[in-house]
Amino acid sequence: MDFEIINPATTLELLGTINELQSKHFRFGAGYSDLLMELKKKPEENLVVINLSQIKDTAFTGLTISPDHVRMGAMVTAHKIVMNEQLNKDYPVLHQAALTLASTQIRQVATVGGNLCTASPSGDIACALVALIAHCEIMDSTGKTKSIPITDFFLGPRKTVIKKNEFLNGVLVSANNKLSKNIYSAFLKIGTRRSMECSVVSLAYHIQTDDDGDIIHAGVAIGASAPTIRFAKDACDYLIGKRFDHIHQKEKEEFATKVLSYADPITDIRATAWYRKEVLYNLSKSIFE
Amino acid sequence: MIKEHKESRLKEEVLHVISFMLNERQVTCKIKSSTVLLDLIRDHFSLKGTKPGCYEGECGACTVLINEAPVNSCLYLAVNANGKNITTIEGLVKSDGTLHPVQESLIEHGAIQCGFCTSGMAMSIKALMNQYENAQHVPGDIRIEIPTRNEIKKYLEGNLCRCTGYVKIIDAAEQLFAKEDQ
Ligand SMILES: Cc1cc2nc3c(=O)[nH]c(=O)nc-3n(C[C@H](O)[C@H](O)[C@H](O)COP(=O)(O)OP(=O)(O)OC[C@H]3O[C@@H](n4cnc5c(N)ncnc54)[C@H](O)[C@@H]3O)c2cc1C
Ligand code: FES
Ligand code: FES
Repeated sequence: MDFEIINPATTLELLGTINELQSKHFRFGAGYSDLLMELKKKPEENLVVINLSQIKDTAFTGLTISPDHVRMGAMVTAHKIVMNEQLNKDYPVLHQAALTLASTQIRQVATVGGNLCTASPSGDIACALVALIAHCEIMDSTGKTKSIPITDFFLGPRKTVIKKNEFLNGVLVSANNKLSKNIYSAFLKIGTRRSMECSVVSLAYHIQTDDDGDIIHAGVAIGASAPTIRFAKDACDYLIGKRFDHIHQKEKEEFATKVLSYADPITDIRATAWYRKEVLYNLSKSIFE
Repeated sequence: MIKEHKESRLKEEVLHVISFMLNERQVTCKIKSSTVLLDLIRDHFSLKGTKPGCYEGECGACTVLINEAPVNSCLYLAVNANGKNITTIEGLVKSDGTLHPVQESLIEHGAIQCGFCTSGMAMSIKALMNQYENAQHVPGDIRIEIPTRNEIKKYLEGNLCRCTGYVKIIDAAEQLFAKEDQ
């Protein structure tokens, strides 16, 4: 593993570096928990790493909570998410996903940006953010930003919409619905070991009900079940208007079948495709049990 | 051909000067871009207490504290140590040789067999103590109560031990917090 490294200290310097390196082969490095492993397994020649971890701008490193949304800079770590009381209260799915990511040590360095941009089908924070229908704020080397829904962000395993002159600047999550009374929100991860594991299957959900207990918002995402994390839109639509605590067995099954229609799992060293589907089906039903 | 040769020589020559606190001592050194902190600590500073296990972030034998938080030094670029405060197992011992309470507790509980995981375990337990002691100071952060046995287990998930079966290690950690409670 060998590479050259450049350490921009501000976003402005970062933009300059990206422009200068357009004709070269470069990668970004944030917490390095994916990148170093990848480069050790498959070294890349003449690689320049643009080190994001010394950039001080709070838009890039900070977590801000305002009345209509939460914004996380790309460099916010899993640890920072876990420790934030408000996130734990408003978005249990995100808190739990960050808490199941790897280990205490890795959570200190692993960033939101790295989890999204590595585009692994089993990215835990990424899966929670899909269930929350987050928006990705992408900046290009002229300093212009655009915001795209996370459902358009992943193109395939290890592939995102980010172009060579762009990077992820931050992620936005909308505030919960003003009418929401109860929030049913969790991250369910099945692995072959309890911790430190890429999931065999994961399911993230964030469901809000109104005063009457009727579902007014539903976000469900599946991980490790398809080439990318997927948002189970039909399953979400199916829930709207139903009473959360009055979902019958038949409806649970129909919901789970709809979730499963988004799955296209593979058989690998961790589990067979059949097993993944069975688990996902049962996990989906378990939301209401 | 000549050009290639030049380029590869250039590559070798690019070094970064970094400066950081290592066990409360200011140090400065020259490193390659891809040097990881674990190699720097062991090979350049000859501090062999930090153990190389898997080099993949899995085992935790290489755990050190960076600004009081536990990190796998095998996956941490030395470049990013610049300006930071780094503590290794050698830094837990007082200058007169007195062991740190974490070390005492591990010994008292017979929590060490081959010892390969021990420095990493000690650093993680120390980090949990730091987190607990500093907990009340960060606005917006979850308030931290005395960690329960299960929370200690969860905290130490990134530290593998092939010998002890963990029970005595967790006992050793638990007792430290029981003491703090008094
Ligand atoms: C032992 C171990 C266990 C793990 N367990 C889990 C787990 O349980 N769940 C899980 O989800 N992950 C797990 N991972 C994977 C990894 O820790 C996470 O994906 C982490 O969030 C990556 O973040 P990072 O900051 O370390 O990314 P890096 O490694 O720095 O970067 C990852 C990729 O994203 C790109 N990138 C980073 N930031 C940006 C940006 N702002 N803009 C554009 N591109 C960017 C990089 O170029 C690189 O290609 C594990 C890793 C290890 C080593
Ligand atoms: S050597 Fe670093 S985690 Fe195993
Ligand atoms: S004592 Fe041998 S690995 Fe833990």
